[in-house]
Amino acid sequence: MVDNPNGPLLAVQSVSKSFGGVQALSDITFDVDPGMVMGLIGPNGAGKTTLFNVVTGAYPADTGDIIFEGIRVPGRKIHQVVGLGVARTFQNVELFESMTVLENVMVGRHIRTRSGFWGAMTRLPGVLREEKEIRDRSLDLLSFVGLQDEAHRQSGDLPFGWQRLLEIARALASDPKLLLLDEPAAGLNAVETGQLGELLERIRDLGVTLMLVEHDMSLTMKVSDRIVVLDQGRMLAQGTPREVQSDEAVMAAYLGGGHASN
Amino acid sequence: MRRLPPIGHIIFILAVLLTGFLIENTYYFQLLVFVGIHTLLALGLNMLMGYAGQISLGHAAFYGIGAYTTAILTATYGFSPWAALPCAVLLASAVAYVVGLPTLKLSGYYLGMGTLGFGMIGFIVFREWSSLTGGSSGFVGIPPLEIGPVSFYSGRSYFFLVWTVVLGIIILCRRLIDSRTGRALRSIHDSEKASRAIGVDTMALKLRVFVFSAAVAALAGFLYAHFVTFISPGTFDFLASVRMVTMVVIGGMASVWGALLGAFLLTLLPEWLHAFSEFEMVVYGLILMGVMIVLPRGLFRGLLDVFEGAREQTAKRSGGVNGR
Amino acid sequence: MQEVLQYLFSGLTNGAIYAVIAVGFSMLYSATDLINFAHGEFVMLGSLFLVTLWGAWQIPLPIAFLLTVACVALTGLLFERFAIRTVRKPQPIVLVIITVGASIFLRGVAMILWGKDAYSLPPFSNQPPLELAGATLLIQSVWIIVISLLLVFGLHLFYRRTLTGKAMQATAISKRAAWITGIPAGLMVLLAFVMSTGVGAVAGMIIAPVTMCSYDMGTLLGLKGFCAAMLGGIGSLWGALLGGILLGVLEALGVGLISSALKDGVAFILLLLILYFRPGGLIGAAESARF
Repeated sequence: MVDNPNGPLLAVQSVSKSFGGVQALSDITFDVDPGMVMGLIGPNGAGKTTLFNVVTGAYPADTGDIIFEGIRVPGRKIHQVVGLGVARTFQNVELFESMTVLENVMVGRHIRTRSGFWGAMTRLPGVLREEKEIRDRSLDLLSFVGLQDEAHRQSGDLPFGWQRLLEIARALASDPKLLLLDEPAAGLNAVETGQLGELLERIRDLGVTLMLVEHDMSLTMKVSDRIVVLDQGRMLAQGTPREVQSDEAVMAAYLGGGHASN
Repeated sequence: MRRLPPIGHIIFILAVLLTGFLIENTYYFQLLVFVGIHTLLALGLNMLMGYAGQISLGHAAFYGIGAYTTAILTATYGFSPWAALPCAVLLASAVAYVVGLPTLKLSGYYLGMGTLGFGMIGFIVFREWSSLTGGSSGFVGIPPLEIGPVSFYSGRSYFFLVWTVVLGIIILCRRLIDSRTGRALRSIHDSEKASRAIGVDTMALKLRVFVFSAAVAALAGFLYAHFVTFISPGTFDFLASVRMVTMVVIGGMASVWGALLGAFLLTLLPEWLHAFSEFEMVVYGLILMGVMIVLPRGLFRGLLDVFEGAREQTAKRSGGVNGR
Repeated sequence: MQEVLQYLFSGLTNGAIYAVIAVGFSMLYSATDLINFAHGEFVMLGSLFLVTLWGAWQIPLPIAFLLTVACVALTGLLFERFAIRTVRKPQPIVLVIITVGASIFLRGVAMILWGKDAYSLPPFSNQPPLELAGATLLIQSVWIIVISLLLVFGLHLFYRRTLTGKAMQATAISKRAAWITGIPAGLMVLLAFVMSTGVGAVAGMIIAPVTMCSYDMGTLLGLKGFCAAMLGGIGSLWGALLGGILLGVLEALGVGLISSALKDGVAFILLLLILYFRPGGLIGAAESARF
């Protein structure tokens, strides 16, 4: 899975971003190596989701650069970035609610498949073959996250925890090399969170590099190889979970040393 | 309910055949031809509105482009209608592409307004460019259609022609909906944000479906022009665009059969309302408001809901399907 | 040069009318996020009520004026109460169709009450036209311009100075927040409908002496007023005024200097241009420019 074993998969280089007068990100720099799980933590409003949006090309960065596998991300459209191998989920689960569970995952295959308007109308053998391929792969992914029995349910009718799993399956369908998860455990109970941790391990075993924003510290500390701590748009610390936990600046931010906004 | 089996198509074919051979009255044929043409309009617009979730209040312009292109090419320049058809469809598609490029960047009401502005400009061009279109007094002398020895002059033959085309477009639409492209379209309707994040080039796709619906409208315009052989700008004004939107919404968005139902009702309703003579508009307006107030999801889905609700009283059908 | 001035006068007259129609659109939009496609029909009702009350029944103009506003606003109130508010899950597209239904309904009612004939009214007063640098300004044009300016200025004061006006603005910004602070949001929406349709009636009355009044006059007027609102920036009072005047003047100049075929086209070409290049309208960036 790793194309350039010597370099990082993702390099975030002095990225800054402001909205009006608010500095959402200032001079953020870190690398994500292939195969690792990178945790991104920080109080509310620290800029974690903004960072996700910048990395996926949803917002342009004001300054700085984002390099994915040696390719510059800024200036590319979102679907092109997905094409490079970056997928994401959303904090508030964004499913296609009028579509079935299976169809949701099938949309995830969009960027890896080709047939278009004419193909859809003519249904030539090649198109049908591709359609079957999409379906099979999507069913596999549903099994992978444990939703194989729900394939034909309306996705909006799923319980919330399953919606999260479905969103992950949909993201995986685009064959990402890097998967960004925005608070995947939010709204899950303890059992579900445990299952999620186990799922994340299995995703990593597939060779997918993970980056996650998460408030559940025990989950983050357990699954992450490295952690970046943001606070009010600035990078407070980075290192292994152990290093970060003992970092004084982090302790100050989290335990009320001045400006913990949480 | 999304995936009605092809049995729907078989019933459709049987219904068309039965009607075609049982009816003798020319007036009814004429009416049913209009229903068919309106169904085409509703089907195309439904792809844009019901599935991609983008409104257009200017589609009558594409309908008009189809009609006027074929009228001018055949009557003025002596083209065969079958040579004029691709020209009409291509011209409407090209205009849709050029107009759609900036317009589809807008969303919500702004998109509605942009398409409204375009539709009005189309109407004004049909009315004012009188050297080409005959202006507000209309365009006469459009030849009827013929294929070799078969002439589509009688109501019955034109009825079969139009409804064969309708069947073809229904099949195309259903194939489209249940395909990679169709799923991507529907995903835009549900959440454009997520759709983009999963790798759908939403702008390009919206543009393509806009062009598709314009092409279908132009096809409908072609069939209209060669049926009535006389066209005037009034057929393609703002109210015509609104009527198309209404057909889609009244029938029920995101449903091929809903579009058919909507076209049926909105074509036949004015005929039934003739009985009310001067109260016709009042009753029409009241029905429009009433249906939307009572069944905001359209008749097709609305009636299905009522039916299902009666069958399984306990169902929690709070409306997850189109609920946004 | 004289000609241009003459075009300018007729442009200002029409522009003032577009401005008043645009104000009505804008008021309702900012309070309810609703584009009322029946707005032109309320303008039409304004004209026709005045035709009956002042023209036929000879009721003195000021009283007929107020009565007309009251009748049309009452129609607006009934429309909100019985059509708009009864929609359970108000999707924009459903509301659009309901307002379209209402416009057809109102046109039908007007056709029954007033027939298909067109009526005309004399100017509000009988002074001779003003001569200015060789161009003439009809006395009704003066009435139109003065009344629309007074109306816009009065509404400005209402929104700035009165508690009700401020409460309406608050509701426009956030229904929820307004509700929490104790503002009866439902009542404010109703009030917005009443005022918007009342303003529409004013537009209909001032235009009555310079046009032919009939049951189907409203549609195009409504659409043009709507273009004017978008041009200035929908939701903005001064934007509506600016958009209306600009539309009126450009339309008059386009017709006079280029071709009469442009008469109805100008409005929609401007609409597309503004949408493509400055969707927030000429005045301000949509949000900040609300009343």
